[in-house]
Amino acid sequence: MPSWEDFKPFIVTGLALGSVYALSGVGMVVLYRATGVLNLAFGAVGAFGALIAWQLINHNGWAGGPAYVVCVLVGGVITLLYGVLFGPPLASRDPLVKATATLGLALILLGAMSWIWSDKARSMILPTSNHGFRVSDIFVNYTQVIALGLGIFVTVVTGLFLRFTNLGTAMRALANDREITASLGVPVRRVEAAAWLGSGLLSGAAGLLLSNLVGLDAATLTFLVISSLAATLIGRLRSITGTFLAAMGIGLVNALVTPILSISQYRDMTPFVLATIALLVLSGRRGSALTGRAG
Amino acid sequence: MRKHLGSRRTRSVLTLLVLAVGLSLVISACGSSNKSSTSTASGGGGSTAANTTANASDTSKCGTKPGVKASGTPIKLGAIVTKQPGTDFTDGANMANAYFACVNDNGGINGHPIKYKFYEEQTDPAQIAGFAHKLIQSDKAVGIVGGFSIIECAVDHKYWESLGIYEIDAGIAPECYGTSNSAAPNMGPRYSSDGAVQGVVRAGAKKIAFDQSNVPGTGYIAAGPTAVAKSLNVPIETFKDNVPIQDANSVALKLVQAAGSDGAVVLNFTPPEALKILQAAQQQGLQDRVKAWGCSTPCNTDFVAKALGQQWDGKLLVNAELNVTDASGPQSTLYRAVFDKYGSKVSGGLGSFSQMGFAMGQFTVQALNTIKDGDYSLKSVNTAIKSLKGVKTDILCRPWYYGSAPLHIPNNVDWTTTPKNGKMVIKDGCIPIAAADPTIAQVRQIEQKDPSLTQASTMLPPELGS
Repeated sequence: MPSWEDFKPFIVTGLALGSVYALSGVGMVVLYRATGVLNLAFGAVGAFGALIAWQLINHNGWAGGPAYVVCVLVGGVITLLYGVLFGPPLASRDPLVKATATLGLALILLGAMSWIWSDKARSMILPTSNHGFRVSDIFVNYTQVIALGLGIFVTVVTGLFLRFTNLGTAMRALANDREITASLGVPVRRVEAAAWLGSGLLSGAAGLLLSNLVGLDAATLTFLVISSLAATLIGRLRSITGTFLAAMGIGLVNALVTPILSISQYRDMTPFVLATIALLVLSGRRGSALTGRAG
Repeated sequence: MRKHLGSRRTRSVLTLLVLAVGLSLVISACGSSNKSSTSTASGGGGSTAANTTANASDTSKCGTKPGVKASGTPIKLGAIVTKQPGTDFTDGANMANAYFACVNDNGGINGHPIKYKFYEEQTDPAQIAGFAHKLIQSDKAVGIVGGFSIIECAVDHKYWESLGIYEIDAGIAPECYGTSNSAAPNMGPRYSSDGAVQGVVRAGAKKIAFDQSNVPGTGYIAAGPTAVAKSLNVPIETFKDNVPIQDANSVALKLVQAAGSDGAVVLNFTPPEALKILQAAQQQGLQDRVKAWGCSTPCNTDFVAKALGQQWDGKLLVNAELNVTDASGPQSTLYRAVFDKYGSKVSGGLGSFSQMGFAMGQFTVQALNTIKDGDYSLKSVNTAIKSLKGVKTDILCRPWYYGSAPLHIPNNVDWTTTPKNGKMVIKDGCIPIAAADPTIAQVRQIEQKDPSLTQASTMLPPELGS
């Protein structure tokens, strides 16, 4: 068993990994709460934007700043186009169908990325990755700090936005019942478009940061949502704060298991083991509450 | 009201159209510049690109009759290649095909053109076995050369043995290096990892943390580095990690902790996965916390060197099974010239995969040229392939051979390369893989019994006949 000194640096890497899961998880819950769609293409859209930025910097001579802006905008545009074109026809379908449709978008984007960029090793280092400070003998770079900060910022701001603004209220109403919301005079398509655009911009920003924190690899970034999905499940697809905290918890446990060599190679199961435990506990509580209420 | 709605809808449609057009312009810009980047990447840097252009006319040396197209009965050859999401090995076969096209344009094989066909598989044993039968029974292939697959050797080696086919392949499965009817220009992950371990020990490492992707066959691969490290009295700890790696920071930290300040980390991953670990180490300031970093052959690409940046120059030691792509030797020069003129389908550009394909193409043509009676049957072609020995090429450290043996690892002497200014350059010259690995010891015994196997006796184009 490793000593406490051995474990300490893994707390830092765990928080960094948690912020990675949090960015994706929070982004998915935001859209789900606003439109009722679980966007499984969140990672693929971000990866696509990041690869375009890499292309612009390395082969078209662009400076980093404008290319990063393009990355974020590409995320917004792709997601908005998908939402506007496919959102309305799928609006009345089962949530599972809507989620599966986004999986189709993810696979199309993944195929396009493989076709355009192949699977060669490449990287895009943000300037913030080269500067930072030391914690527990580990260098923490500012990209990791920004990722954590963005996760917290999005959690807080989105929570306030959905709760206290007219557009946020409209989004929540829309997610609950599209028809009734429309009959109340809410401009449904415009509100949905705003939600898709916001989520898309977030996926672009997440793709930019994750390409630094995880690696600029289309498949990795596309399927990162699977691990992040565990955090959204713990947050029951509703609580943005719950999703954020769950993501941080998953990241920490995952990292802290790493130096324990006997179980280290099974640590990729962490998100799903924790999600299963959390769902069992939560459903148990809910069952008790219902029983108590009935009694 | 209706008019108002109509104009609003028109505006929305126009906005969407503008967005779609904008996005398509960005994507198409990427696509078009990607083509030019492949061209740049294929050059592997300014000097290589210049060499490539300068040598374009030298492709006439592919065959014995420059400029004369072969028009006789085709000699049919085939291969099976892995192509699936995340794993595309078609560069090797496409480069072999490029070389065959060059040969066909310059006289062919005694006037006969080579007709080459390869199937792309997705690591499905039934599919691979089906392709093997199809190549022989339907396509009437008389030789199986230029393949590069994850499991093809394991699936088909018994079938090839039953037919008397001697396959030339660049494989991954243990059967590519441990059976009688398979010989490769490369040595595969186990022996390349052996070489990487030797490289970091030469750099002064007192302990080794060896990590590889958690895929079937890790025990077989880890056995080599373990034996080599033990023979050098250096403790080794082996790890395996699931890919794609999502928490490279933790993986890098774990390996550095295991290696210690006097130790070294040795990686056996695909380039993108190795890059994640190396960059995570860099971003956490860990790259100087160990004596050295080592990597098996996949890291030996300019893409990795460029992506890592100068902080890793001289710090990362890579076992290189093949020469650097801008080497000045005759075969390397011809390789670049053939790539430039015929290699449009080699999407990965100049690199170890296409080098292997070129070498396999040259070995095959050399074997076919030894058949003098014009009878290019399955039996005669495979007898000729099996008879190859002492084949000299500057793409490998020493002459390549086939011959009769229970196993073939003709490439068992390698370079060590390191990044320098965004390119991989040679750090150490040709050094034998340690015979502490039992399989390498077995190969050395075979070579000692028949020294002619490794003595340069067969020249390849463009040196042929010189």
